[in-house]
Amino acid sequence: MTALAAPASPRAPKRRKSTEGRDAWLLVLPALLPVMLFSVYPLVYGVLLGFTDAEAGLNAETHFNGFDNYTALAGNELFWNSFKIGLIWAFAVTILQFLASLGLALLLNLDLRLRWLARTLALIPWAMPPVIIAIMWQLMLNPNYGPVNRTLASLGLPSSINWLGESAIALPVVIVVGVWAGMPQTTVTLLAGLQSVPAELNEAAAIDGASTWRRFWHVTLPALRPIITAITTLDLIWNFNSFALVFVLTAGGPGGTTMLPSLFAYNEAFRYGNFGYAAAMGNVMVVLIGAFLILYLRAQMRSRNS
Amino acid sequence: MERENEMRTRTSASVAAVAGLISLPLALTGCSAFGVGDDSDEGGKVTLTFQSLAYQDTTIAATQEIVDAWNADNPDVQVELVQGSWDNVHDQLVTQFQGGTAPDVIHDESADIMGFAEQGYLADLTDLLSDDTKSAVSDDIWGTVTSSDGAIVAAPTLLQSYVVFANTDAFADAGVEVPAGESLSWDDFQALAGQLGGDGGFGLGWGLQQPTAAVMNLSLGFDGTYFEGDAINVAENELAVPERIHAMAYEDGSLDPVSLTQSGSDVLPGFFDGRYPMYVAGNYIAQQITESAPEGFNWAVLPPLAGTAGAVQAANPQTMSVAAESEHVEESAAFIDFFMQAEHQAALAQGDWLIPSSDTARELVAEQTAGENGWDAILASGEGLSAAPFQSAVNYPQWKDQYATPALQQYLADEITVEQLQTQLTDGWNDLG
Amino acid sequence: MTRSMRNPVARPLQYLALLAYMCFLAFPLVFLLTTAFKTDREIRSPDPSFLPRSLNFDNFTAAIERADLFQAAANSLLTAVTTTVIVTAVSLPAAYALVRFRTRLRAVATGWILLSQVFPFILIIIPLFLLLKDIGLVNTLLGLVLVYAVWALPFALWMLQGYVSAIPVELEEASAVDGAGRFKTLVKIVLPLLAPGLVATSLFTFINSWNEFFFALVLIQDPDMQTLPLALARFVGAEGQVQLGPLAAAALIACVPSLVFFMLIQKRLTAGLLSGAVKG
Repeated sequence: MTALAAPASPRAPKRRKSTEGRDAWLLVLPALLPVMLFSVYPLVYGVLLGFTDAEAGLNAETHFNGFDNYTALAGNELFWNSFKIGLIWAFAVTILQFLASLGLALLLNLDLRLRWLARTLALIPWAMPPVIIAIMWQLMLNPNYGPVNRTLASLGLPSSINWLGESAIALPVVIVVGVWAGMPQTTVTLLAGLQSVPAELNEAAAIDGASTWRRFWHVTLPALRPIITAITTLDLIWNFNSFALVFVLTAGGPGGTTMLPSLFAYNEAFRYGNFGYAAAMGNVMVVLIGAFLILYLRAQMRSRNS
Repeated sequence: MERENEMRTRTSASVAAVAGLISLPLALTGCSAFGVGDDSDEGGKVTLTFQSLAYQDTTIAATQEIVDAWNADNPDVQVELVQGSWDNVHDQLVTQFQGGTAPDVIHDESADIMGFAEQGYLADLTDLLSDDTKSAVSDDIWGTVTSSDGAIVAAPTLLQSYVVFANTDAFADAGVEVPAGESLSWDDFQALAGQLGGDGGFGLGWGLQQPTAAVMNLSLGFDGTYFEGDAINVAENELAVPERIHAMAYEDGSLDPVSLTQSGSDVLPGFFDGRYPMYVAGNYIAQQITESAPEGFNWAVLPPLAGTAGAVQAANPQTMSVAAESEHVEESAAFIDFFMQAEHQAALAQGDWLIPSSDTARELVAEQTAGENGWDAILASGEGLSAAPFQSAVNYPQWKDQYATPALQQYLADEITVEQLQTQLTDGWNDLG
Repeated sequence: MTRSMRNPVARPLQYLALLAYMCFLAFPLVFLLTTAFKTDREIRSPDPSFLPRSLNFDNFTAAIERADLFQAAANSLLTAVTTTVIVTAVSLPAAYALVRFRTRLRAVATGWILLSQVFPFILIIIPLFLLLKDIGLVNTLLGLVLVYAVWALPFALWMLQGYVSAIPVELEEASAVDGAGRFKTLVKIVLPLLAPGLVATSLFTFINSWNEFFFALVLIQDPDMQTLPLALARFVGAEGQVQLGPLAAAALIACVPSLVFFMLIQKRLTAGLLSGAVKG
């Protein structure tokens, strides 16, 4: 972006920087101020909690205990197992969700009949609270009476699959529900992004005789890139932290095969009252996922700038 | 230069506009639409908050009636009824206890509150509850609401037990007699399931998606106590119930293994359509059966299941407690006394199809229902409910989530052997140390 | 838009693909819809028919009576709309500034945005709750608005940055060369281009506030102030018991406003860029 902006700027770069720096502050401050007040404090509190032995209890005393939580966590096989499940879940859901949503967004961007209806219907999963989604899917996936198995049966396909009850397939099934639940958000985001791709670019390419596929690959996709980066990053984070859906669907079962790390940390804090230890898990998640994201964002920036 | 100035003033103008927008909600602070500042000052009167988890419409109405009656009798101590939900009460209380904003009177269950009691969040009611309340409930049940330092932290209200529901028409079709008597032994139960099943059909459906509570509670019938103090002991007695369930599912073929991975309500339609002539669930399911069974569906509750130690199950009563930080502990305790009166408990029990822990209320329910709709067997199963050692093992909730539930799920899905189950349960507990 | 005109095979295929998507996404809603009209007996029936045998509105009346649904919907609406207005008003200028003025702020903001989203929300609930309690916002909708706004702001900032980046800076510079001031450029050039992004972002903010459950559960005790998700939770009992009919009816009522809102606003997802902005 700088590469594009700097040479075209009619003003002297130095002065521009100082006054614009102030303008930037003026514009950003109203957003940052409430945020500082209401999010930095709880976040810092939460992060610091990860270095204490805080426990639930009336008048319970809390002490800093350095890295004790982390040495304990290093040997906590269950946590790392759940971390692994979280990675599989987060990447699978994010990637599938992105591909499915991109396809849908491209379709919804076309001038098709009843587009308004399709666009509205595409939003359905989003309009329902996660708890309702989970209850509904449980019913749909009921092995004996659910519509999913009944539909399969009427098509003559195997229809006695115990979708959520078998440890070998529970995670993939939960992933599909996760994709379903998160699709509207990604679709709307990408659709809005597609609308921001200046039509001229496409028209210019069309005049040049570029094929649909080539235009998509060389014009649309690069223009969408900042939005794709932004939404996949957030999707990954949210999926890694997702909680309510799986909590109601399987509560981590069967046999712990869908125990996501946020469920695990939640149990540690809310059920066993080990706030300090749970916050340490949160910190580990921040560090590991954060490191990955920085690498990902760096790579995206670099390829965008080149 | 000029242009820049203009730009800056315009920017400042837009900043001001934005700042104005932000302060908008703050300006609305006085506006009661946001609920700010409508704190009611009732001049000397005490107002207690009572969060009830009543779920069935009948129970909600019964609760409201009790509260109304109290409010009419006690103009100086008014109770405000707040509706909570079972699904989230634990998380809600954890947060509210931390913030000191928990309701004065708290409705929950023994398995959930004993951890709060150990953390000091619940008031000691030992000397505050009346003798009438205390004498109406057996010492065994009081044991489930007594903390490790001997303080009573709640009044036990309603109990559930696991019972066997029978489709009596299916029994008749199979030419099997519906068992009667004081209790039904596990051996007879298994034989019954075998007789009713056969020909690829099943004798029994049992929603054991969350198996731990059912297994632990029923194991008491074989003296399977699991814990001695804080030491775990998983031996023959403890494994009897899971082994028998496993045998029915995978050796006799009389129990549908799919049902073991589902919740109780998921299995219910299978009971209705005759797929499962017998169905094991919490006794409160009787309410759903009466309300949603197909026309002409005939059913009964079989006598309570008995192991080698008799028809005993662990009791996990619903509870009424008072927050330790409440400013009105005495008044709250007085309200609980009122709430515990036999006629109130009897009304609530019938609304939820649960068993009153108070003996007098139990007699009242027997009288009022005349034992219809399985009430005689349901009330009988209440006789064998008592406290179990696992209820006072400190790390029990964590062990249950992290080791017992996954291990039992795997065992009941025939993915691990009983030896592996035994090892996982034992080692898991010892890892928690 | 012209691309598919050339290929006569493409159009039917596109409709087919769209239909497949709709089946996948909307089927559960159809299921919910039919369930809402069924009696309890029909729902638990071992041989459920797809359509209800008769249109039965008992579930709707039960849902409305039991959970005081309209009051809850009003509360949710007030909360969600206020949150959306605040978040949009605050994040738009900030996102623009962060992208266009390349200050060090951007790195700080990005770091904070990511941190606030990666750290499990469930773990900051308690400190956040304590904070709100200290300033007297427990049991108020304003407290909810603040929490939702703070929680949605990072997202809004992050996404809007993406949309601003996608706008070629040449457009603004062309406008500046034509003598338009920065503010005018913002309103005339940038804002229309950002409209779809703004719609997407405000939609997100609205719906997340509309659906949020846990914090509302903890913060709101007064029955008159409960939000919709809290009302819905009334239909879920212990050990997986669910009053399915009324729940389905209530869930349906609860998701209608979101869908209507979106139906009205979806046009804006196209409005941004039909006239040639470059020549502006």
